[in-house]
Amino acid sequence: MRSLDDDRIPAWRRYLRFWRSNSAGDVEDELSFHLESTVEEMLRAGMSPEAAREAARRKFGDVDGISRALYTLSQQRERRMTRAEWFDALRQDFVYAFRQLRKSPAFTAVAVITLALGIGANSAIFSVVYSVLLRPLPYANADRVFTFAEQNGSGTMCCLPYGNFDVWRREATSFEALGATTGSPPLTLTGQGDPAPIPTTRASAGYWKAMFIPPALGHYFTEADDRDGAPNVVVISYAMWQNRFGGDRSVIGRNIMLNGRPYAIVGVASPQYVLYPPAEKVWVPLAPPASRLTDFKDHELRAYGLLRTGVPLASAIRQLTQIETRLAHENPHSGYDGGVAPTSLVEFVVGPLRLRLYMLLGAVALVLLIACGNIASLLLARANVRRAEMAIRGALGATRGRIVMQLLVESLLLGLGGAVLGLGVAIAGMRFLTSSPANIPRLHDAALNGPVLAFTFVLAVVSSILFGLVPAIRVARLDLQQTLRDGGRESRGAAREKLRRALVVGELCVAQILLIGAGLLIRSSIALQGVPAGFDTRNLLAIDLQLPIARYAEPPQQEATFQAIENAIASVPGVRSVGRTQVAPIHGFGWDWTAFREGSDGHDDGAVDSNMRSATPDYFNALGLRLLRGRSFTRGDAADGPKVAIISRGLAKRLYGEADPIGRRIGNGNGEHPGWREIVGVVDDMRSSGLANDVPRELYMPSTQWVNRSQTFVVRGAVPVLGLVPAVRRAVAGVDPMLALSNVSTIEQSIDDSMATSRFTTWLLGLLGATGLILAAVGVYGVIAYMVAQRTHELGVRMALGATGGTVQWMVVRQGFVLAAVGVAVGILASLVATKTLQTMVFGISPRDPVTFIVVAGVLALVAVIASFVPARRATRIDPLVALRGN
Amino acid sequence: MARSSIELLQGTLDLIVLKTLSWGPMHGFGIARWIQHTTEEVLQVEEGSLYPALYRMENRGWIKAQWALTENGRRAKYYRLTAVGRRQLTAEFASWEQMTNAIGKIMAARREPA
Repeated sequence: MRSLDDDRIPAWRRYLRFWRSNSAGDVEDELSFHLESTVEEMLRAGMSPEAAREAARRKFGDVDGISRALYTLSQQRERRMTRAEWFDALRQDFVYAFRQLRKSPAFTAVAVITLALGIGANSAIFSVVYSVLLRPLPYANADRVFTFAEQNGSGTMCCLPYGNFDVWRREATSFEALGATTGSPPLTLTGQGDPAPIPTTRASAGYWKAMFIPPALGHYFTEADDRDGAPNVVVISYAMWQNRFGGDRSVIGRNIMLNGRPYAIVGVASPQYVLYPPAEKVWVPLAPPASRLTDFKDHELRAYGLLRTGVPLASAIRQLTQIETRLAHENPHSGYDGGVAPTSLVEFVVGPLRLRLYMLLGAVALVLLIACGNIASLLLARANVRRAEMAIRGALGATRGRIVMQLLVESLLLGLGGAVLGLGVAIAGMRFLTSSPANIPRLHDAALNGPVLAFTFVLAVVSSILFGLVPAIRVARLDLQQTLRDGGRESRGAAREKLRRALVVGELCVAQILLIGAGLLIRSSIALQGVPAGFDTRNLLAIDLQLPIARYAEPPQQEATFQAIENAIASVPGVRSVGRTQVAPIHGFGWDWTAFREGSDGHDDGAVDSNMRSATPDYFNALGLRLLRGRSFTRGDAADGPKVAIISRGLAKRLYGEADPIGRRIGNGNGEHPGWREIVGVVDDMRSSGLANDVPRELYMPSTQWVNRSQTFVVRGAVPVLGLVPAVRRAVAGVDPMLALSNVSTIEQSIDDSMATSRFTTWLLGLLGATGLILAAVGVYGVIAYMVAQRTHELGVRMALGATGGTVQWMVVRQGFVLAAVGVAVGILASLVATKTLQTMVFGISPRDPVTFIVVAGVLALVAVIASFVPARRATRIDPLVALRGN
Repeated sequence: MARSSIELLQGTLDLIVLKTLSWGPMHGFGIARWIQHTTEEVLQVEEGSLYPALYRMENRGWIKAQWALTENGRRAKYYRLTAVGRRQLTAEFASWEQMTNAIGKIMAARREPA
C-alpha cells in the first residue's frame, strides 16, 4: 500500500487500464480517494494535517489488510468474467456455426454421413480391439502368471509330460502356484434330458490358484480333490449353471452323471473363464494316476505358473531350466533339450491376434483419413463461396485467429454430428463383428462402453481438426481488399486448387495401400484354398465318440464296441465307407511319437518327431488317402498279433531315404523301450494339421493295438453326408442308446472353421478397401467436377474457337488421369513399406506380390478415370454462348 | 469514534448498503458518510469493512461499479444498484422486518415462560 503522504496517483498506471484491467491499481485508487476525502473533512473541521491523517486512518481501520482482501475479491471477479466471456464467445460460435450448416443442408448431410460411416466403423473395430486386447485380463494375478513351453532345438513343445510337471511342482520354489490343464474329449452328461457331450478340461488344483478368479459359487479343486482315487468332483461353467440348473444356488454338492459316473459339483466357475461362447463346459481334476507321473515323454500338459511376489521371471526361468536340463539328461530323445520358454498370460491369450486386430484398426483409420480428405476438399471448395462472408467479418474487425476458430467450430460441429450418428453405425458394426464365427477370444464381450465412447469422442475432435484446420487457415488468409473489390468472386484460387489435388492424390495413395493389403489377403486365401489336403476332403463326415469307462473298462470290450458301431454305420444306406481313428486330421494333432529307426543309436537323424494316430483297416480308404507301398491294416492285425505300423511318405523318406521301408522295424523314444513295430505300408502325406501348416510326419497303428476310449469315425457318403447324420445316430443308438455323438461336422466345415479368423480379417480388410476406393473415387470426382465448373468460361472459349467435344473431354479426363497416376505411384511406394505388417498373414505369395500391386494400381487408375469421365461429359455439353455470356 | 455505538449484526451491513444505494449511485466514502449522518452516529461502521462488503456484493451481481468524476472533479468509484440488487433489498428488508417484529414481541412479553 502506498503511503498517504504520497497522495499522487502515478499517471502511467491509469493508462495501463486502456490495455487491461488493473485490479491492484483500482483498489489503491478507491481507498486513497476515501482516505483523502476523510482527511479533507478533518482539515475543514480544523485539525492539523498530521492529526487529520492519523484520524482518517484510525477511522478506516486496517488499511493493508483490507486492500489485500479487496485485491483478492476483484481477482476472483476478473477470472470469472474472463471465463464467462470465453464461454459466451464459444456459445456464439456454435450458434453461428449451426446456422451456417443449416443454410447448406446438402453439404452438411454429405459431410455428416461420411463422417458417421468413418467414425462408426472405427468405433466398432476399436470396441473389438478394446474387448480383446486392451481390457485387463480377469485373472486376479494376471501380471505374475506365465505359461511355459519346453524348448526342443529351435522349436518349442507346447506341453509338458506328466512326469516333468510333477517334478516342477515339487521342486520349483519360485512359484506361488503351478498348475496344469489338458484337453479331454467331452464328457457325456446323462440324466438331464438327452445325453449331451459337454466340453471338458482336466485341471489341477494349482491351475485354479494360478489363474484365480473368484468362483460364482462354491469353490475350485483343492489338493485333496486333485489326487488319484479321490471322489469324483466337477466344477461347472457359469453358463451351464444358468442353462441346466437355472442358477439354483443349491447345486453345490449335488451329483451329475458324466460318462455314466456320478460327479459331485463343488463349484460354479466365474463366467469370465470362458473366452469363447458357447460357454457350457465342465472342469474335472487332473488327478494323475501314479503311473503317469513317471511319464517323461508324452507332452500333454499346459503349465501355468504364478510367480511368487518379488521373484523376477528370469530367476524362475533359471530354476526351471536347471530342472529341465536334468530331466532332459535323464530322458534323452523325449522332445525337450532343457530350455524353458515363458509366455506372459496376455500374450498367451491374445498375442497371436494382436497384429491382425491392430492391422484392422490401422486400416479403418486409413478409411477415415480418406473420408477426412474428402471433407477437407469440400470445405476448400466452400471457401470460395464464403469468401465474401469472411472478408466482411474481417473488415468488421474479426482477427484471423477468430475466423479460424469460428470455422473450426463448424468443423467440430460436423465431427460431433458424425460421431453421434456414427454410434448407430458402431452398434450395427459391433453386432456384425461379434456374431462373426471368427475364433477370437473375448470378442463376444465387445460393447459400446465408456472407453469406446471416449475413443469416439476423441476421434470426432481429432478428425474435425484434421479436415478443418487447413481449410480454415486458408480461408482466413484470404486477401480482404482483393476479395471485396472482386465482389466476393474467386480470383486467386490456384493455391487452393493445388491443395485439393494434393488431397486427392493422398486419398488415392491411402486407398491403394488398403486395396493392396486386401488384395494380398484375398490372394492368400485363394492360395490356401488351392492347397491340396492330401486326401479327399469333400463329403466326408467326422464324428467323435467316447465310451464311458464305467461301463467299458477293458480295452478289448472297448474295441469290440467300436467295431460294432463301425459295422452299424457302414450298413446305413448312403454310406460308402467308414473308418475310425484317434485324432482325425484337421480336428487335431496326433500323439507325439519320436520315431526311431532300428539300427540307429537314436543320436543321429534316426530319431524324428512325428504324429501318431490309430487307424482301422478301412480308414485310409474312407479318407481317400493313397496307399503308396505295402498294405493297409487288416482284421488280422489283432491286439495280440505282431506289432505293425504304417508310416507317411514324409516319415519314410526322412528315416529311410529312397530305400523301401516295408518290413523294417521302427521304435519310439530313446531305445530303452522302443516297442518295435514292423512297417507294413506307406501312405501319402496330408496336411493334417491344417492347410496353412506344414505337412507333419505321421505314423499309424492299428486301432486294435492302441486302444483309446475316444475315437473319431470318418464317414464317406455316396449321398450328401450331413443328410446321413440322423441315420448314423440311430445306428449308434442301436449299439448303445446312452452314447452321445459330439463334434459332428464335415471335414470341409472343419477346414473352413480353421480359417475363420483369417477369413474374418480378409473380409473386413476387403470391405475397408472397397470403402476407401469409393471414397477416393468421390474425391476425384469432386475435384474434377469443380474444375470443370470453374473453367466453364475457358472451356466455352475453347469450344467457340473450334475445340471439339472430344478434345475438351480428353482435356478433363487427362486431369483425372494425372491425379490417378501420381496417387498410384506414391501409393505403390507407400505400400511396399506398409505391407510388411502383413508378412505373417500372407500365404503362398510375397507381401510384395507383383500381381496384386499391378492389378490394384490398374483398378485404381481405371476408377479415377471413370470418376473424371462424368464431369468430362458435362464439359462437352457446355454451350459456348451461355458460358461466355455468363461471366 | 462515538462513545455510544452499536455493533452491527451479521448481514445487516449488506442491507444498509443496498438501502443507501437505492437513492442513487454513490462512492464508498459517500456511503460511509450517509450511514453516519442518517443514524446520527449511533451505528458505527468501521469504514474499512464497508469495502469488502461492496466487492462481495459486486461479485454477486447486486451492485455495479463504475469510475466517474465527483462534483469537485476527482475520480471516484461509484456503485449503483442492479435489478438483482433491488430484488435482494426487498427480500432482505422483508426478513429484517420479520426478525425485528419477532424480537420486539419477545421483549414486550409480559408472561413468564411456562
